[in-house]
Parts: sequence; structure tokens; C-alpha cells
Amino acid sequence: MTNNPTLIEMRHIVKVYPPSVLALDDVTVDFRRGEIHSIVGENGAGKSTLMKVLYGLTQANSGEIIYKGEPVHFREPGEAIAAGIGMVHQEIVLIPEYTVWENIVLGVEPVNWLGKIDRQRARQLVKQKIDEFQFNLDPDARVESISVAARQKVEILTLLYRNVEVLILDEPTAVLTPQEIPQLFAELNRLRDGGHTILFISHRLEEVLELSDRITVMRKGKKVDTVPASATTRQELARMMVGRDVIFTTRRKPQPPGEAVLRVENLSLREDHGRVRLNNLNFEVRAGEIVGVAGVEGNGQFELVNTLMGIQKPTSGRIFIRNVDITHFDILQRRQYISFVPQDRGKMGASLVAPLWEDAIMTHHRLNPRFSQWNGLLLNTRFAQQFTRDLIENFSVVAPSPRAPFRTLSGGNQQKVIVGRELLLQSDFVLLDQPTRGLDVGSMEYIHDQILRIRAEGRAVLMISADLEEIFLLSDRILVLYRGQLVGNLPVEQTNPQEVGSLMLEGQVQSS
Amino acid sequence: MKILIGLINGMISGATPILLAALGGAYTYYAGVFNIAMEGMLLTGAFFAVLGSYYTGSWLIGVLLAILGALFLSLIFILFAVVLKTDEFVTGIALNLFAVGATTYMLRKIFSVKGVFSNPAIQPIPAIRLPLAENIPFVGEILSGQILMVWVAGLATILTYFLIFQTRFGLRLRAAGYNPARLDSSGVPSSRMRALSLLACGVLCGLGGSFLSLGYVNLFAENMSAGRGWISLAAIILVNGNPLGIALISLLFGFSDGLGLLLQGYRVPSQFTAMVPYIATLIALYFYAARKRRLNSA
Repeated sequence: MTNNPTLIEMRHIVKVYPPSVLALDDVTVDFRRGEIHSIVGENGAGKSTLMKVLYGLTQANSGEIIYKGEPVHFREPGEAIAAGIGMVHQEIVLIPEYTVWENIVLGVEPVNWLGKIDRQRARQLVKQKIDEFQFNLDPDARVESISVAARQKVEILTLLYRNVEVLILDEPTAVLTPQEIPQLFAELNRLRDGGHTILFISHRLEEVLELSDRITVMRKGKKVDTVPASATTRQELARMMVGRDVIFTTRRKPQPPGEAVLRVENLSLREDHGRVRLNNLNFEVRAGEIVGVAGVEGNGQFELVNTLMGIQKPTSGRIFIRNVDITHFDILQRRQYISFVPQDRGKMGASLVAPLWEDAIMTHHRLNPRFSQWNGLLLNTRFAQQFTRDLIENFSVVAPSPRAPFRTLSGGNQQKVIVGRELLLQSDFVLLDQPTRGLDVGSMEYIHDQILRIRAEGRAVLMISADLEEIFLLSDRILVLYRGQLVGNLPVEQTNPQEVGSLMLEGQVQSS
Repeated sequence: MKILIGLINGMISGATPILLAALGGAYTYYAGVFNIAMEGMLLTGAFFAVLGSYYTGSWLIGVLLAILGALFLSLIFILFAVVLKTDEFVTGIALNLFAVGATTYMLRKIFSVKGVFSNPAIQPIPAIRLPLAENIPFVGEILSGQILMVWVAGLATILTYFLIFQTRFGLRLRAAGYNPARLDSSGVPSSRMRALSLLACGVLCGLGGSFLSLGYVNLFAENMSAGRGWISLAAIILVNGNPLGIALISLLFGFSDGLGLLLQGYRVPSQFTAMVPYIATLIALYFYAARKRRLNSA
């Protein structure tokens, strides 16, 4: 595959975002026919911009693109698609009210002379494509009723229906659960074997190594190198991405845990129609200890977080923090005891449209009287601004100003603001729900450092993560949730990923 | 029997302008345009229908002029809300106020009257007699003798239903409302669909307006649309834009209109009977909210 003829050449591409951000700095790269070519790099390294230039979504300031031996210049995505190059974006843009086939044929509908859609033919054409690529989709299903993974397939099929030869995928695995990823990879491999060229943007190195034929690494708008996947390692890729060595082994120093901070007793949550979400949980998190919660998504993690935070009321059981019974506290009362980093940055963690400083002071402004003046009637904006500037500095946030809208920050910087805000609350107990999901290697490492720092300070940390590697990297103890039950409570030294994995999947250790 | 036939005929002619305006609004509803300009478009249509019919002696030219007048408002709407991306609600309010002011001004300047312009030279839209059906008792008395525009409205209902739910145009139109980004990325500019929906709305409101001043009555009065455009908006929202549902709701409003006229015959003050359609709107909204709450809790 790596000896296939070159299909696309991008030569000396330069892209400047006004006023002065050099997004692509003289990038030259080639893509071969029938290969899976990954483009890796940290957020802001320019990998998405490079693909957008190829796809005609944005225009390069200089440089040229040679496609099938001819120089091309796409002014808009429609031209790229017509030439056979299509891109699936990270956020899935479909019409939930329409069926799968309606979404796919939209814009190129087969019609009769009256302008009436030829449903039978449209369905048949879509069905053919589904069968051809073995996509396992129901063309008549409404998109609102299908899973995220299936929606992603619809996006890919939309392009295949338009007969593209080159598929650009922008971090397609970010929206998938771990169980859905192998299926996507199998489909991409089939497409590649059928002669399609796949350009795969990602920052998950394990995935990239597993899937790709060749890998191009980008850093700060420059191409570092293109290497065959078989001839590199994760360490090497990470070094090229970050520009220095990245440590994948634990830096957790041994430290005897203190007394219990969080104590959960007989916690159960039963839904109205009888389904048990949490089944009699009992555990502690002690001072200076990181406890990781492992489990396949949907086994009670969501409900555990909700009951700890007071978003959902448990059916029975009690929750203590430092011997204070918080079971019947409302959310604000709990916030005096709990720092909380929620899973969804844009929904629960912060307001994307608010300016950065408003997101930075949330919760603080209710708990700390220094944020208000005139007996709480007005916000002390001067103090709030100062607080935000300190947070930006202390947590290495890259932001244009405290007044910039939160959504203009990169994902990594958004998460740094939220983590910074929560850690500054000075509570003894810290609840982290997927603290590094969707972050690049550099930001992830930074957040991990912060988590280890608060452990050293003697705070108690409960961390929920879908990333088993992260759990093993940070935790002192691992709890495993399976169908709402605690099926494992294991010190990290006495277990291994295989054992935890089989607890996650089956609720017990396989006897072999 | 006479009363019943009178009531049904009153219902049909009361429903026709609301139905035409609401069908126009259905296009913009599905295209995702928050369009409240039906009121102004109806009024403009009504004025130009009288203008054309009076000066040329042809009701057909009156109807065509009514369409052009309403389309003019559509073009302004497109310029502001689609091209310049101003707020649709504010644009609609401005157009409605503009329509009242402009038609009143032109009424006084061109016809030199205040309030109402009525003249035997205004040619009404003809009624259609059906010689075969005429002799059927009851049904024949309703079917025959309806004004042409009533049949046009019925036809427009079926055509609108077909266009929105069966054709390529409809699939793209609704896509523009559901998720414009998806439509754009499939190569069809969503702004084009929004503009087309507004043009369709202009045509239908022009027809509705011409019925008001050349069919329902044969004159032009200041602000004669009298909230029918707003009622049409209520009709659209009540049935989520479905053309068949719109027809049903329009008949309901038409019925309350006819009922108001009937009550006037029984010496109920006309100011009171004029409230009936609007009270009907409020009652309909109540049932809509009650049903929605039931659906949500289920």
C-alpha cells in the first residue's frame, strides 16, 4: 500500500488567519491512492486547517494542490465533492426528522418529470451503497432514532453516494464509545481495500498506529515528518507531536492515604419504572488518594455523578463528606464540599457564549463573599477580573482576554479553565468526570499533573474515566461499575488492565 | 335550512383568505423563516386588487396586481431577513406597519377618500355556477355559486401538500428549516430555499388579499385585513404547518366568522360579534397547549 502511486500532492501550503496566526507554515505532503493516511498533532497544530484547504472550505494564501496529476483549486466544498474528495466533520450535521435515505439523497434526489421524488429508486440506490460497503444501516430509519455511530455512517455514506474517492475524517472516534470504534475501523479498512483513499485526523496515537498505513505529524503549523506506521512507535510520535519526551508511565509517588473524606453508604438509585441504576454502593475515598471509576459507559457512572452532586435523588443510602451527611443537601450546599469537573464542558461545565471571566467565577461568586459588593446586590467585577487573570496565568490558559467568549478557546484551554476554577474552590473532595476526554496529549498531560498535585496536597479525588489507561496512570485504587453494582474495589498494585477489563465487560473475572 | 346554508357559505368565504395566507405561511414555516408578514401582504394584496380592477375593469388584472403587490413585500423581506440577515420578527413587524401606512396613504392620494373606497366600477371576482350540481338540494346550493377564489384556495391546499411532502423542492424546503447547515453542505444554498418560500407566501397572500376586496366584499377599507394574517399564523402554529390541518383550522375560524355575521342578524352588537374569531383563536390555543402538555407528560 505504501508503494501505491501518489494521488494528491499539497505543495508549500501557507495559510495565515488574520491578523497574524500562521496556521500552516510551508506544508508539503503527499497522499497515495488506496492508503489510510493519518494526520496527527495537538490541537491547533494545523491538521484540520490543512484538510480544510484541500477540501475548499478555506483558501490557502499560497501553495498548490496537485490532484491526479493536475493542479486543482477548490473554491468551495461542492467543487471538491464533484472532483471526488469529501470530508466528514467532527460534529455530525444531519436532519434528525428525515430518514437515512432522505438525508443521503438530499441535494441529488432522483425525481420524475413532475419534480416528485422517486422514493423507490432513491431507497434502492441508498440500499445498494449500504450493501456494497457492508454498513449495516436501515435506510428507512429516522436519523433521530439511531445511534451516534450510525449517524456517522450516514455522513460517510452521503459522500460515498456522491462517489468520492478520497474521504477526509476529522476525529471520527471522538464521538464514539470504545465498543463502536473497531467497527468503524473495519469499515475504513474495507473502503481502503476497495481503492478509496482515507485521510484520518486524530490525536489518539494508539488508534492511529492501529489503523494507518502512513502517518504525518504536525506541530505548530509545520509538518514534522511523514512515517510508515509500521516503522514508528507511540513514544516517537508523541515526541514529534509535542517536541519533547512525553512520559506515559506513572509519576505517582507513593503516599499513604489519610482518613476518609467521601463515604458512600448503601447508595441505590431505582428509576420509576423499576430499573436499577445504582445497586447498594459502599465505598470511601480517602485524603491524598485518587480513586478511579472504571466501567463501560452506561453502567451507572452517570447516575453516580448525579447522586453525588445532588442532580438526582438516590432512592436510598447516604453520602458523607468529612462526616457531614450531605444526602439531603441541595446542589449549592454540596458545592461547599465538592469540586466538580463535569463530563460535558459546553453544557454543564461552562456557558460557551458567556465571556471567559463569567465562566471562571461560576460557583465562586455564590460561595465567596469577596465576589460581591453592596451586600450581594452587585458583582464585584474588578475582583472577578483579577481572579480570572490569576486563573489564566496559574493554569497556563491560552486566551486572548478575560472578556473573550468562552467558545473561542480551544477544547484544551476550556478544560483548563474549568479544572482551574474547580481546584481553586479548595474543597477536600474533587469529583472528576472524564477530565481529559477529547483533549490533545499536551493538555492531557497538564491536567494529569494538576490531578497529581491535588493528591499531593492531601485532597481526595474520585475520577470517572472511560480511558482505562488514564485510570491506571493516575489511580491509587480502582472501582469497577457493572450494571450499577460495584464489582471491584482494587488497589492498583494488585490488579492489571486484563482483570479490570473483564470485570467491566462481564462483572466477574474469567476463570481460565 | 336557509340559516344552515347561510352559515356554511359564511364559513367558506370567511375561511378562504385565512386559508390562502396560512398556506403561504406554511412554506415559510417549513423553510425555517419566522414570517409574521402575512397580515401586511394580505392588506397590500387587497389594495392592489381594487386598484387594478377599478382602473382596468378586469378582475383578473386586479388579482395579478394583488400578487405583484404582495410579492413586493416578499422582496423587501428577502432583502432584509435573508440577504442582510436582520431579525425576522422585527422585519415582519416593520412590513406589517408599512403595509397599513402605505395602503392608507395611497387610498387617500389615489382615490381621495378616507376610510372606505367603494365604486361600481370595481369588477369583483366572478362566482362559478355549476349547472349540473345546482339542482342537488343542499349540497348543490353550497357547491354552486362559490367565488372562483374559493376553488383556487382548495386547489392550493392540495398543491401545497404535494409540493411540501412529495417533491424535491419540498424535501429541500423542509431541510432548510430543520437543519440549514446540512442543506448547505449538500450543495443547495438554504438561503435560496428561504427566499423561494417567501415568494410562494407572497403569491398566496396576494390571492388571499384579492379575495378580501374583490370577493368577500367589493371595496377597499383601511386596514381591512383586520387580523386575518395573524389568525393564519395561529392556524399554522396550531397544526405545525400541515396544509390539510391548516384547511381544517381555517374552516373553523371561518365558521366563527360566519357565526359572528349570523349573530348580528339577532341584534347582537356588531362590535361584539367581531370578537368571535379572535375568541375562537384563544380557545384553539388553549386546546393546543392542553394537548401539548398531555403529549409531553406521556
